[in-house]
Amino acid sequence: MHNDNGIWVSTEDLMQEASFLQSAEKEFSVENIDQTDGKWSTNRRDFLKLLGFGLGAATVAASCEIPVKKAIPYVTKPADIVPGVANYFASTFVNGGDYCAVLVKTREGRPIKIEGNTLSSVTHGGTSARAQAAVLSLYDTRRIKFAGTIADSEVQQKSWADLDKEVKAKLSAGGNIRIIAQTNMSPTAKLALAEFTAKYPNTSIATYDPVSSAALLAANQASFGKFAVPSYHFDKADVIVSFNADFLGSWISPVEYARAYAKNRKIRDSKGMKMSRHYQVESHMSLTGSNADNRILVKPSEQGAAIVALYNAISGSTGGPQLNDKAAASIKKVAEDLKKASGKSLVVSGSNNVMEQIYVNKINDLLGNINVTVDFSSASNQRQGDERQIFRLIEEMNAGQVAVAIIWGANPAYDLPNADNFKAAFAKVGTRISFNTNVDETTALCNYSAPTHHLLESWGDVEPKAGVFSLVQPTIAPLFQTRQAELSLLEWADSQNLNRQDDQPYYQYLVSSWASDLFQKQSKYSTPGAFWDMSLHDGVFELPASETSVSFNPAVSLNPAGVSKPSGTELEISFYETVNIGGGQYAHNPWLQEMPDPVNRTVWGNYLSIPLEWDGINNINGWKNFKDGDNVEVEINGKKLTCTIVRTFGQMPGTVSIALGGGREAGGCGVGYGVNVNPWLPLEGGLVQYFAADVKIKATGTVDKHFASVQHHHTMGVKAMGKEENAVINVDEKSLGYKGFQGSLTDRSIIFQTTLNELPKLAEEMVEFHKETKHLNEQSLYPDYSNYYGTGVKWGMYVDLNACIGCGACQVACVSENNVPVVGKKEVARHHEMTWLRIDRYFYGDFENPNVVYQPMMCQHCDNAPCENVCPVNATNHSMEGLNQMAYNRCIGTRYCANNCPYKVRRFNWLDYTTADTWPSNEERVFWAEGDDKPFYADDLVRMVLNPDVTVRTRGVIEKCSFCIQRIQEGKLTSKREERAIMDNDIRSACQTACPTGAIVFGNLNNPESEVNQLRNGAGALAYQVLEEINVRPAVKYSAKVRNSNEELLS
Amino acid sequence: MLLKRICWVFILALLATANSYAAPTKEAGKELFIANCASCHNKNMKEKLTGPALGGVEERWSAFPRKDLYAWIRNSQVMIASGHPRATELWNTWKPTQMNSFTGLTDEQIESVLLYINVVYTEKPVGPKDGTDPGAEKKEESSIPWLFVGMAIVLGLLAFALMRIIDNLGNVARVQEGEVPLQKSWVTSLTSKGFIAFAVFAITLLFGYKTVDNATRMGREQNYQPTQPIAFSHKIHAGANKIDCQYCHDSARRSKQSSIPPTSTCMNCHAAIKKGTISGTSEITKIFASIGFDPISGKYIPDYENWSEKQIEDLYKKWIGQEYMAANTLTALDESGHQTVDNQWDGLVKALKDDTNGKIQGPVEWTRIHNLADHAYFNHAQHVAVGKIECQKCHGPIQEMEEVYQYSTLGMGWCITCHRETEVKFKDNAYYNQYERYHKELNDGTRTKVTVADIGGLECQKCHY
Repeated sequence: MHNDNGIWVSTEDLMQEASFLQSAEKEFSVENIDQTDGKWSTNRRDFLKLLGFGLGAATVAASCEIPVKKAIPYVTKPADIVPGVANYFASTFVNGGDYCAVLVKTREGRPIKIEGNTLSSVTHGGTSARAQAAVLSLYDTRRIKFAGTIADSEVQQKSWADLDKEVKAKLSAGGNIRIIAQTNMSPTAKLALAEFTAKYPNTSIATYDPVSSAALLAANQASFGKFAVPSYHFDKADVIVSFNADFLGSWISPVEYARAYAKNRKIRDSKGMKMSRHYQVESHMSLTGSNADNRILVKPSEQGAAIVALYNAISGSTGGPQLNDKAAASIKKVAEDLKKASGKSLVVSGSNNVMEQIYVNKINDLLGNINVTVDFSSASNQRQGDERQIFRLIEEMNAGQVAVAIIWGANPAYDLPNADNFKAAFAKVGTRISFNTNVDETTALCNYSAPTHHLLESWGDVEPKAGVFSLVQPTIAPLFQTRQAELSLLEWADSQNLNRQDDQPYYQYLVSSWASDLFQKQSKYSTPGAFWDMSLHDGVFELPASETSVSFNPAVSLNPAGVSKPSGTELEISFYETVNIGGGQYAHNPWLQEMPDPVNRTVWGNYLSIPLEWDGINNINGWKNFKDGDNVEVEINGKKLTCTIVRTFGQMPGTVSIALGGGREAGGCGVGYGVNVNPWLPLEGGLVQYFAADVKIKATGTVDKHFASVQHHHTMGVKAMGKEENAVINVDEKSLGYKGFQGSLTDRSIIFQTTLNELPKLAEEMVEFHKETKHLNEQSLYPDYSNYYGTGVKWGMYVDLNACIGCGACQVACVSENNVPVVGKKEVARHHEMTWLRIDRYFYGDFENPNVVYQPMMCQHCDNAPCENVCPVNATNHSMEGLNQMAYNRCIGTRYCANNCPYKVRRFNWLDYTTADTWPSNEERVFWAEGDDKPFYADDLVRMVLNPDVTVRTRGVIEKCSFCIQRIQEGKLTSKREERAIMDNDIRSACQTACPTGAIVFGNLNNPESEVNQLRNGAGALAYQVLEEINVRPAVKYSAKVRNSNEELLS
Repeated sequence: MLLKRICWVFILALLATANSYAAPTKEAGKELFIANCASCHNKNMKEKLTGPALGGVEERWSAFPRKDLYAWIRNSQVMIASGHPRATELWNTWKPTQMNSFTGLTDEQIESVLLYINVVYTEKPVGPKDGTDPGAEKKEESSIPWLFVGMAIVLGLLAFALMRIIDNLGNVARVQEGEVPLQKSWVTSLTSKGFIAFAVFAITLLFGYKTVDNATRMGREQNYQPTQPIAFSHKIHAGANKIDCQYCHDSARRSKQSSIPPTSTCMNCHAAIKKGTISGTSEITKIFASIGFDPISGKYIPDYENWSEKQIEDLYKKWIGQEYMAANTLTALDESGHQTVDNQWDGLVKALKDDTNGKIQGPVEWTRIHNLADHAYFNHAQHVAVGKIECQKCHGPIQEMEEVYQYSTLGMGWCITCHRETEVKFKDNAYYNQYERYHKELNDGTRTKVTVADIGGLECQKCHY
């Protein structure tokens, strides 16, 4: 089957199925409300009721007087608050091992947005979707609001003093105390823990991570004598091999790695470009795999075999388990590449098998990468957990040896493979205390709740890497009667170092801990006060790096018998962590739930990815002819679950995959979405394995009627092989029922891609392409605007598709910055998602193992904007700064503009998603979390997250990306007040600041010195406008996608 | 009368020659008046303020020697104590308000002030020059409808005449064809199809026009003047005392909001000025009760937020009573004193007690006057710090407002008009250098000015996003 080297989004697209054509044809789904849920149906009586109410309300509204509004000033205004001006506080996003140095934007003392902290040497101002969404979890209505006892999943309030008294009595009773925690990177928290342990010597801690890296730690202990994760220098590696490690999405420190990785992959020039080469060995298409230059497909159980094969090829050894022929051949070629790049390469593995990780260490050792790209100088603290500790604890609890158990951030009743065993054992513990913020699965089993603050209300410190420190500072007074976990521990330990008279005892504790420890170790500041103030101001502090060099312990023996064995079963499954939901820790954050999975593009839940089968001629079908949205019964090891199918390119035949983190049962709005796959995870050597063999799948004949994948939403100009025409056609045109006009519309330019070797050729072709489009566009009836835009500012953007890894941080940042509503699964299923910025994912290349390119797509702010011409009320029009403006208050909702937008970036408020409407009757149809009594955004607590500089749109209007006009206004005002020219740093769009790799750059096109111009000019002909040939003259340019593929592997 | 005037002129002339260095002038008098008198005496000289209207003061004192008037102005209390009949009369009318002493004023300076008073008092009001006179606008507005009414009547008569002509012509035709001419009565005319159709059309048009017109005005609150919890007078603070607007509204220059100042800003002055010239203790005590300032000891109360209402009541009632007694030279509260104390306390509770937490302590809840629609973005800093627009341009003569009202419509048309007319400070600010074409045109002389509209001031997303 011929694809003309084109791009595609799905099989329906490739096969030109009617459903896809229909989907592409309709800007929005035509599915009615009452088809989606019986509860929503409207009958004649309701209609009459609504009519009556409507008339009544109209009468009342018309005769109502304008309500009297109050203006309440401060009594004593805090010196650093100016009403209407945002304050930024340096802080840290930290959740277990997830780390990101951030700035918290507050307005009138209310955190509303997370930005990256550029002073951090770890994240360099990059953020992740998880960090961006942290601000929403502060305003979670399900947070526990006070301390107390827990009965029937409800917290019965008790004063902190009473709770302390009762808890202390239990702790002092002399029984064993066990703390169950995740990775903890805070030195001061550890100090508090030490005080607690000193007071109660029969205390021990069981640390495990929701997604385990225990084998990596154990292997490093064995190989190098270091129980730590090294610093991986992806920027120093010319060849990168990853065995199923999703280091760009979720593995250990993705923000740090992504930046380093992208550094060597951006287009600077069409000639002589240097690029690292990245091989990914995996079975399912991970975010990292989708960015790889070559993917080598191995079954999950063959990972060990693949690692040993690579070791053998490098060391010249033999033996080890059998690997599939194709992969074995590829691995040999990878080894050649690696050997050429000795000392400038890097091999990592996500495996949780100790022997496999030792093999990887040995490979790096043989390649001379140790102490170069694998560096223990500032080793990472981001993974410290070992699940064997909690498995031992389960045995202890079962034996009745534990008197008190304290849950600190962990949720073992959900995320352990043997959660049922845990629950049974946990019930045997007399006193069960939880520090968790929500009544999650484990907290519901506890009898005391001592809820800790949200991160944005807390004090704290983080040491993500040895010698690199980061401070956490509160940006709002605690919303509820919560108390920081560290303070609770100190309180229960009767700490002498706690100033209980102080308003913030833990703050004092932290300050004195820094003064007595870190201050002594540094020489930059002469007083503890100055040291603290500057560290708090910067948010980060680093001790001078100390060189640590390690060597591979020669006593470690490599034993191929220790790696996982190929199962030989017909169907295997792999379990992976997604960039947004993690191991389920983030499932209760609606922003993250509604962010599509980068690869399979589904939202609100985890779906079973199945491979696609190509008959080699003309047909691509889902495995066993399953379709997207089909419910199937999956049986692994005797345990059955019903999963929903999503067919995914890049999924290896004979394997399926499903994300972790679905099927939460308690604690927030993620309850009821997806399935909990943790019970399927097998144990090997006491460690959790993220794959299983012998999977049985049975059709159920039912479908998920709200199957929510955004894959076919807002498609544009995708070309494919027409069945009838037997030639390349344009999908949009096909759906409209007529053929291409002048040919130019068929060859739509959305993605340009090539390999590094072919880059000069592509550059030449693109010169021709630009020439042709220029010619086409000159045949225009439109007047020339260059004079109009020539004076003042003209805003534009550049997106480097080689730097974009598809992580979605920009998308969540945009949602946060622009008050984009959450609509819920049912609405997404109806094409009603509201995101202003979507990340389109296109496949190209080999059908069985395709390449992926991500394209962030937002309003292109066309100079000849087609949307503007068709608005009957002129609600959308152009500014002299080149912005395509949208005046919500003028919009009457004809949606002509959305229909006419070639990029499909306009969103319509079908329902009152933000409850901005004054008539409550509209509210009932929008997203309600399970068990909530009102729509998501109707709660005043949730509304605190809204950005007061951006209008909250009501029902019936169109909205779209504004290039963050509120930031433009702010930046312009700053430079006007300072009476100077506008500079690049004055205005950075929300997506730009969020991006960990610097893929998005925004700026003034009229200034030849601006970064955006420098980059656009630097890329030369390789920079293009999407649909350049249709003369809409967009303000956004993208770069061609270049892959440094090893072509020997492509055959 | 004329004689007296001549006499005065003569005397003044004499004085002028005697003191060759300074003849009294109207200009000097104005300056002195504003500096010394305007805070208590109305500058129109006709109405009372804290002190009496000064117009005709010379006549009222004409029965006494001129130096008595001088002495009164320099130190009124001495005159009262000496039992001067005019002084006693004044004291009886105005006590307990005392006139400030101005012992430093020379005779010439006093004469200048008196001259200025007389000039202002006797001059005829001049017609509105600055367009702020509300009467003028009204006249202009109302003249237009009358023109239309006149035109409508003329056109109506014309239409009526034409109808008659048509009828008559019709009848002529009928007669020519040998038919009986129709005698249309008024009733048949008024119930004719044509007339009814016209009437329906006219009524629809009128109602439509009124509906649209009123709908446009919906939500607009020009002249909105709510009663505020504290009778704060901008006339005294901004007008008489000339406190800079941005002293209190300090965020106007750096934020989108101008913000109502916190109570602590009031205390910058009122920790010392504990009583108002007009209101005495009744208003300023409210500030003290909001922030927790003890005016008797002159100190802030340490744990004020924990005070009970009774404690607060005792303190401030004591203060009000104490001041009442001092003003009336009493040693104990009399009947009206008790009433004053109770009234002022009730006023304080009404102004400060918060509906939500029921406490006196805490911020003053002012009624917001200027309510811009939520979907409209307005930035004070842009207009104040960059545009260097006077506050009065939008807020009107604030310095003359005893109680603030919304001066402008705050409608979009009003914004747009100003943006069309206002010239940008184009050459003073390096930010605008980027508008190369405009600079070129300005230098060429092809362009005389750059307005806000020229740099995009009319674009939707300047204000709506």
